[in-house]
Parts: sequence; structure tokens; C-alpha cells
Amino acid sequence: MSWAGIKKKLRWLAYLATEAYNAPYRGAVARAKREQDDLFMLLIFSEMMGVPNPATYYTLELQPIMLEKFHEWHKRAGIEHSPLDDFRCC
Amino acid sequence: MDKLFDRRIVFVGGKGGVGKTTTAGALALMAAESGRRTLIVSTDPAHSLGDVFDTRIGNEKTSLGPNLAGLEIDPEAEAEQHIATVKMSMKSLVAPKMYREVDRQLDLAHHAPGTMEAALLERMADLMAEARERFDLLIFDTAPAGHTIRLLSLPEVLGAWSDGMLGHRDRSRKLGNLLKVFGRDHAREDSFGMIGGSKEEPDDSRDGRIQSILLNRRRKFHRARELLTDPTITAFLLVINAERLPILESKKTLDLLKKFNIPVTGMIVNRLLPSDVDGEFLRERRLQEDQYRAEIEQTFARLQKVYLHLLPHDVHGVETLREIGLHIVGQLGDSSGDASRPIEA
Repeated sequence: MSWAGIKKKLRWLAYLATEAYNAPYRGAVARAKREQDDLFMLLIFSEMMGVPNPATYYTLELQPIMLEKFHEWHKRAGIEHSPLDDFRCC
Repeated sequence: MDKLFDRRIVFVGGKGGVGKTTTAGALALMAAESGRRTLIVSTDPAHSLGDVFDTRIGNEKTSLGPNLAGLEIDPEAEAEQHIATVKMSMKSLVAPKMYREVDRQLDLAHHAPGTMEAALLERMADLMAEARERFDLLIFDTAPAGHTIRLLSLPEVLGAWSDGMLGHRDRSRKLGNLLKVFGRDHAREDSFGMIGGSKEEPDDSRDGRIQSILLNRRRKFHRARELLTDPTITAFLLVINAERLPILESKKTLDLLKKFNIPVTGMIVNRLLPSDVDGEFLRERRLQEDQYRAEIEQTFARLQKVYLHLLPHDVHGVETLREIGLHIVGQLGDSSGDASRPIEA
């Protein structure tokens, strides 16, 4: 086996080892971030879900930005189509 | 209270019908005639500022004389504008067939409780920031007390709200950075084709936009709150009549203002009966009034007071306002004398 080939194999092994170590953490962190984002989403769109929001006037201007994320969010929540009557993203 | 006009913002508040607008108008006129560029702003949804000045004032600054401008905030128009802006940016993001949904959704928001108040507060905060350059004195003729207290407490509540929202974003961003350390960023996902929406806006840029909107909000609220609670900048005047209900309500207002750290500077006791009234009926009313005046003296002992008599005619037009204004200013300047002795009208 050529030297370059060995180097390539070693790099691959290093990658696998890193991944084996990182993957569980990555999952946990990604989950935590998603939960944080979902909460934020809930706060922004709360009025539509019947949760009174003292700052609707101000969350309103954040809604356009969160529109794409909203679609991801309800998919993740296991709802095929937008759960809100007034707000159909798909 | 004698340095009242050296403040930058003066709120005039009190129960409905005690004479807030008249007092605010008279004060504004006096300030303007003393050479201060003055803006008087009515925040009451049922405006009567124009009526007092005997002219039409709208949602735009209207000149009321030399150095004096007036403005009646129209929260409806403010809210409409705000919502129109949101509609525009929303429509730039969704497919045209969704436009009707967007319109429907946002029109509902227009009628949501709190929208008008938020719009009103927004305009007031803007005026407070803007007035610094163009005016020496900003006088707010406020709506009846309860409404105003809520309004003045909003910067605190909403400041806390935007802090909370920013906190969420911050935690999310930190977790996102951690995620990158573990080697899963967008570039990688895209090259593996794991995430379909490679055309999607990257999270970083979205976060940045949300962050900047929230930060702007927070800055505005905190600034408004800073101005409101600084006794060298803001003065709050309570207008009261020597009657039972205004006294009771003013007590509550005072407690609430204290709770929100808004400095109450003085009190204007309005519509007192002159001492030489004739007739049994009015004499009896005066006796009752004396009792209530004593109660006012006792309850609001720490506030400087200005006493104004009931006028034999209605207040409208600059002439009458000047007459009242001179009485107020006269008593303010004469703080060494017997403050409890009203100046005869």
C-alpha cells in the first residue's frame, strides 16, 4: 500500500473516531437548540394558537422572518399541514 | 415645581373631566410665550385639544402660534401603518396565492387587544426621542388615569419582554455555535444533500435580523423608561377637583406612579368655587368643597399645589388659556408665599 493510501486511510479513521465521539453530543446539542427555537416560535406565533401574548404588536414584525421556520416546525411536530386555520404555509 | 418649564417632558394626567386638556394647553401656551419651543401632544383617543385651542389639530404637528405646535396622536393610523409594513415584508416571502391569507391574518392582528396601546406608546416613544432636537418642552395631555398608567408601565413590561426574547435567541445561538464545533454546519449538510432547502436563508443571517429587530425594540423601550423615570427630565402633574371621586382616583394613580418610579411633581386643584358665591345651594357646595380641600391638603401633603377657580365661562381659544396660564405660572413662581391661598379668577 502506498504512503498516500495509508495517509488517506488514517484520515478516514480519524474522521470516524471523531464522529463516533461527537455524534451523541451533536444530537443532544441539536435537540437543545431545536427546543430553544421551538419555544421562540411558540412565543412569536402564540396569539394564533390562542395563547394571549402581551406583545403581539411587536411579535408581528418577526413573523415574516420566522415564516420558513414555521413550516419546518409543524412538520417536526408531526403535523402534515399547517395547524393554523389562518395561516397556511403548505 | 417652580422649575417646571426647565424639564423636557411634562405629563398632565387625572380623572376624566377634571380639566387636563385645559391645564396642559395653558401650560403649553405659557411655555411657548416664555420663548421655549413647545409641542403639546394629546394621547386621549377622544381628542379635545383642538377644541380647547379652537382649531383643528390632526395626526401631524400643527402650528398653534409662535413657538407652539400641537399634535393629536391617532393610534388607529399608527397601527395601520405598522401592520402595512409587516404585510409588505410578509408578502415578499410568500407565494402570491397566499396574499389573501396574509391580509386576513394581519387584519385580525389589527383588532387584537393591546394593538392600539402599543401603537400609541410607539409614537410617544418616538416623539420623546425626536423632541430633543426640535423642541425644548414636550407636554403630554394624557387620557384618563388608568389608561395612562398602563401606558407608562408598558416600557417596563415590554423591555422585560424583549430582554427575554433576546435571551432565547442568545441561548439558541450559543447552542448553534457548539453544534459547529461538533462539525455539523450548513455547508456540510448541503454538500451531503441532507437538507433539501439549500436555497433557504442561512440561520446566521436570520438570527441577525431577528436580533437587530429585538435590539431596536429594547433600545427604544429602555430609552423611554429612562426618560420617564428621570425627575430632572420628566414631570408628572396630576389635575384634580375638590370632589370625592377625583381624590380617590388620584390616590390610586399616585401609588401606581410611585410603583413604576415615575416622579409626580405637583397637583393642580381645578374648578374651585370662588369665595364670594351667592345663594344657599352654592354656599353649601363650598362648605363641602372646603372639607375636600382639607383632605387634599392632608393626603397629598408632599406635592406642591396650584389652585384654580371655576371660571364663569367655557374655555376655548388662546385668550382664556392665557388667563389660566398666568394664574398657574403666578402661583408656581410665588412658592414662597402662602401656596394654599388661591388667586382669584
